[in-house]
Amino acid sequence: MDVADLVDTSTGRQSRSIYSSEPIYRQELERVFGRCWLFLAHTSQIPQPNDFFRTYMGEDDVIVIRQKDGSVKAFLNTCTHRGNRICRADRGNARSFTCNYHGWSFAPDGALAGVPLENEAYFGELDRSKFGLVPVAQVAEYKGLIFGNFDPAAPSLEDYLGDAKFYLDVWLDALPGGTSLVGETQKMVLNTNWKLPVENVCGDGYHLGWAHAGAMMAVQSMDLSGLSVGNSSANLEGGLSVAGLNGHMALTFLDGVSGYAFYPDPKPMLDYLEANRPTAIERLGKTRGEQLWGSQINITIFPNLQFLPGLNWFRVYHPKGPGQIEQWTWAMVENDMPEEIKATILDNQCLTFGLAGLFDNDDGDNLAACTEQSRGWRTSQMDVYTNMALGRSGAREGFPGDIAAGLVSEHNQRYFYRRWQEHMQASSWSDVPAYNLNSLASREAVDA
Amino acid sequence: MLDVRPQPALHDTVTALTQRLFHEARLLDDERFEEWLELLCEDVSYHMALKSRRFRADRSAPIAVGAGNVFNDNLARLKLRIDRLRSGFVWAEDPPNFVRRVVSNVEVLDADEPNEAVVHSVVVIHRNRIDGQTRLLTAGRTDRWRKGGESWLLAAREIALDHSVLPDSNVNVFF
Repeated sequence: MDVADLVDTSTGRQSRSIYSSEPIYRQELERVFGRCWLFLAHTSQIPQPNDFFRTYMGEDDVIVIRQKDGSVKAFLNTCTHRGNRICRADRGNARSFTCNYHGWSFAPDGALAGVPLENEAYFGELDRSKFGLVPVAQVAEYKGLIFGNFDPAAPSLEDYLGDAKFYLDVWLDALPGGTSLVGETQKMVLNTNWKLPVENVCGDGYHLGWAHAGAMMAVQSMDLSGLSVGNSSANLEGGLSVAGLNGHMALTFLDGVSGYAFYPDPKPMLDYLEANRPTAIERLGKTRGEQLWGSQINITIFPNLQFLPGLNWFRVYHPKGPGQIEQWTWAMVENDMPEEIKATILDNQCLTFGLAGLFDNDDGDNLAACTEQSRGWRTSQMDVYTNMALGRSGAREGFPGDIAAGLVSEHNQRYFYRRWQEHMQASSWSDVPAYNLNSLASREAVDA
Repeated sequence: MLDVRPQPALHDTVTALTQRLFHEARLLDDERFEEWLELLCEDVSYHMALKSRRFRADRSAPIAVGAGNVFNDNLARLKLRIDRLRSGFVWAEDPPNFVRRVVSNVEVLDADEPNEAVVHSVVVIHRNRIDGQTRLLTAGRTDRWRKGGESWLLAAREIALDHSVLPDSNVNVFF
């Protein structure tokens, strides 16, 4: 397999085999999921000591645990004796985790705390210090988001996020109270390769008016993209497709209200935005405070985290082989919001992008069929294309990244596959290029 | 000691409501959504909560703001879902999926209100999808049915979905 042939960024071509090939998938587990910073949990989901949350890093089952000192640790959810899963619950609070098989128990800090018949059967010769839970190599938090990384040689989380923080902070740091994820995890199996939902959200404004036409007809207020129902016309000036940031991306409107204008009764939301706008401008500056905070924004953190301020859903995709994922979704709120607004957001997120979501339910089958049509003897040798608006991007005053106008462009998807290829070609982090194109800091330096 | 409440309902009521559930299932299987809506009270509440797997001994606090829902619908929202399904643009339903509901374990009890009954039941929904694969969705239901004139109408349905991970790509079905 030559990864160089699988993706051609200059023409927007991808080999369909990247959605179906088992060897490529095994290499992704190593070089993408085994190397990148992966979202584990939001700090609001494990507020108290001994609170835990179970998730996956690639296909590896992981427990994230709040420690007594307030820090967070993450461990592989597997007994060091015979490999059984030690935590079977999705979340909760536990003073210890006891393996069902032989009763070994582990403390929340990962230490092996108890071994049945330790003296009688092991003759007191078991070195417990060598059999603690295996920790995830790096765990770090960025403004409420807890990430883990299996690679001890990976760059810091701050460096990994790079200039994407400019866009992340529009959600995470607009107001002093920070953010939370709310509601139980909304889990769904989709028979799709994991890259397809990521590219769908990271840059594909093109599908909105067609794939979601049924929901857009039923919910007239939800004109998500500036596209009319049936893709008969488009407003291509209203937003930006932002990429060129280490594989992270944003799709954003610039009006400062469009996220909340979609709500059936937007007035309380718009009042909230107006009341807090001065604070957001003070903290984020005029460009972000006025144009981005409150807008509909799709944010993607490579490889598998996406969230949408405005519609307020937050999502990760856990791969389960080349042709399947578990999609996990939560609602997200700002902690400064009044309780009624938080409740409205949770309710509306479930209605639109929940398990029975009016919009979400349109995407699954398209992605599944794209995956299936990459599996045949003939189709697996074919290509697919993200070649819309090639070469029509550049720097934009006030915004970092390589930017294309509007939400209907395949600019971001090309950068997503370019990043995927860079990771797949690199045997270690030292071979992975770092780029934050058109960084504001460097442009200010040039101006000065 | 005899358990005096809840009282099993009279035989005629049991028969009427059991038939009501079967009829309702057939209307939904046949996508006769407008006729299904006629079985619902104006103030109907149609609800399915999200849940997670927790240790039995777990005593951690409930999630602030709430667990969230799969359905949290009133009549207007149910009509919205039907408008979407009727739009002609819901590609996941065209060609139509083969959908069949099996309703079972029907238990009819008198409610506190004289003209209402509480009905427990189980529904299994078979969906043979566009990909040729069949998904099974199982749920328990606790309903309140209200008698209006000669007819029983659904006032509330609380649905307990029996899947921690939804085994399908959408929930374009009513339970």
